Amino acid sequence: MQTGEAPASMEVEAIPNGLGIQSGSLPLKPKFEPLKAHEMSDGRVQFRKVSVPPHRYSPLKKAWMEIYTPIYEQMKVDIRMNLKGRKVELKTRSDTPDVSNLQKCADFVHAFMLGFDVVDAIALLRLDELFVESFEIKDVKTLRGEHLSRAIGRLSGKGGKTKFAIENATKTRIVIADTKIHILGSFQNIKIGRDSLCSLILGSPAGKVYSKLRQVAARLAETF
Amino acid sequence: MAKPSETGMEALHHLKSTDPPALLAPSPTLSQTARTASQHLFSCLKPYAPKSPFDQLLTDGFDAEQIWQQIDLLSQPLLSTLRRQVKHLEKHPEESKIVLKKENEFLDGERKILEEKETKRFDDDVDDDDMDMDMDEFDDEEEEEEGGRRESEKGESEDESGEMVEGKGGEGIEDKFLKIKELEEYLEEDEAREYGLDRKKKKGELKLEEEEEEEEEEEDEEEEDDDDDELDDEYEDAEENARYEDFFGAKKKTVPKRKSSLSNGSDEDSGLNDDGAVEKKGGLSTHEKQLEKLQSEIEQMEKANLEPKTWTMRGEVTAASRPKNSALEVDLDFEHNVRPAPVITEEITASIEDMIKQRIIEGRFDDIQKVSSLPSTAPKEVKQLDENKSKKGLAEVYEEEYIQKTNPAAAPISFSDEQKKEASILFKKLCLKLDALSHFHFAPKPVIEDMSIQANVPALAMEEIAPTAVSDAAMLAPEEVFSGKGDIKEEAEVTQAERKRRRAKKKRKFKAEAVKRMTKKARDNTALLNHNEGE
Repeated sequence: MQTGEAPASMEVEAIPNGLGIQSGSLPLKPKFEPLKAHEMSDGRVQFRKVSVPPHRYSPLKKAWMEIYTPIYEQMKVDIRMNLKGRKVELKTRSDTPDVSNLQKCADFVHAFMLGFDVVDAIALLRLDELFVESFEIKDVKTLRGEHLSRAIGRLSGKGGKTKFAIENATKTRIVIADTKIHILGSFQNIKIGRDSLCSLILGSPAGKVYSKLRQVAARLAETF
Repeated sequence: MAKPSETGMEALHHLKSTDPPALLAPSPTLSQTARTASQHLFSCLKPYAPKSPFDQLLTDGFDAEQIWQQIDLLSQPLLSTLRRQVKHLEKHPEESKIVLKKENEFLDGERKILEEKETKRFDDDVDDDDMDMDMDEFDDEEEEEEGGRRESEKGESEDESGEMVEGKGGEGIEDKFLKIKELEEYLEEDEAREYGLDRKKKKGELKLEEEEEEEEEEEDEEEEDDDDDELDDEYEDAEENARYEDFFGAKKKTVPKRKSSLSNGSDEDSGLNDDGAVEKKGGLSTHEKQLEKLQSEIEQMEKANLEPKTWTMRGEVTAASRPKNSALEVDLDFEHNVRPAPVITEEITASIEDMIKQRIIEGRFDDIQKVSSLPSTAPKEVKQLDENKSKKGLAEVYEEEYIQKTNPAAAPISFSDEQKKEASILFKKLCLKLDALSHFHFAPKPVIEDMSIQANVPALAMEEIAPTAVSDAAMLAPEEVFSGKGDIKEEAEVTQAERKRRRAKKKRKFKAEAVKRMTKKARDNTALLNHNEGE
């Protein structure tokens, strides 16, 4: 009945009406300014709390200024150390530019707590696409006693050379804490690093891992 | 010549009458008579020789050899006919009966010839010829011709050396039964017939012919053949019906007569003929004879097989198991797996030298082209895995990466220090060499201090080849090995008091260090707090 002509007639009707709200037309989209970090969660302040493991206590004390400076000045996030609770607390300020700053700072501090160097962990603050992946040796293969120790030794290599080789080849940073392994880097690189480490855990010799790394590194270099 | 036949006859008579010793010495009259006699004989024979080129024998001024050649030319064609006639006579021995007496006389005469062995043998010829001629005069014309022919045959036979062929049956076979011409015709017919008959009969005939030839040569050779006699009889039996019925009725009568004639002919045959007769009585056919022959052959072969083989037929034969130098006689054939060495001749060397000269002129030497070791493409950059802790932080690494991606020009040049060092060292070396070449004054080599690790091990232990002189000067001196103070004691040697002293010393040291550390820590903390408060 009114197939083709109905919308046209509707539009024609809507235009002359103008701003008046009528039964047929939709309400206008509201325009809002983006929320500030401060105002988020209904204007309340946001907190992040990062617990400090005991073995990282003294390194934290040594490297406190290096941690504090970039967080407070560049990221515009408040940071303090709760000595009693052994926690690092982060708080947004009124002039925190971005919501994600707080999370980034929390990640940065968390990375430091895992065992990464400040210099390496700073990259988390600067680059968006860096992540930290953690896994355990038992996730890969159940090893017990001497096998576990040997696997850890295999992962590190003599004087840590295998670990450094993987780090340099894949542009990541690796922390081996007993049975826990943490990798810091971009997603692709984390994957490559994880593959190498897993193959080492499963028992392949270091030379094999090196040759694979070389190929991978060459391929990564070619992409530019 | 006025009366050639008479003068010839006279000459013959004259020759006959001369003493044999007189013939030894050459005399012209005797030779003249001999020549006339031979001329006469020649002319007598001439009508019977169809193809002779001479009408008469030329003797004036001719050599003995030449006269002889003329006679030979005349007599040669007649020999075959004579032979045939003789054979025929042998087949028909009854004809020979008639001439038996004459034969004997003739043979005696021949024996005389053999014994005397004169240079000119016409004497007996003369005798016999006379006899023949007398006979001819008495008989028919045909017989005269035949006799003449026989004469000629005889003359020819005695001219030739040692052939007494015609002595057998060629003498006086004039019979009312046998005519020479008829004989020839019959022989030809018979041959034709025989070729149509069995093979064995033909063989028999062949063997018979052989026998006849042998018999012809009996007196000279003195050979016997049992088979001949056997074949003779066999042939006789086979041809009995065809042969004798035509002419004669008698059968076996002739056999002993024939044998006796043979025995008269030669002394040697008689004994063996008797032996042959015994075997003949078995009546063996040719097939059986063949079988016998085969059997004997088989026996021979079997005997040979039982004996040890000759060395050529054996397998592996060493030098010891064969007679000396026997391999030289045998033509050995074996494979040569190597090509025989080329024999170097003048030509080969000349050709090689020519080739060399040509090559030198052309300048075409097959020199090996050196393969350049440079790769055609640039070597792929192999990224070395750095096994040291990276000096840059992760942030810097990503920073550089980002800059390279966005703004490659502004990126700092990434040059590894080791390569830089190597390059600088090489360049320095090169500069040094160039300076030394270009400057006139001497510049000594710069001393490069190099750290090397001295292994405190004697040279003998490091090298496997024994050095001529082992010096331990390079080894470390004892004070370099150990720089200790005081009295050194083993763990076992240390006394209790010593042990306590050591422990106390250690504790003191540790305490001192601990205190130092604490003070350092305190200092740091205060500094930190001040810093914090300052902010």
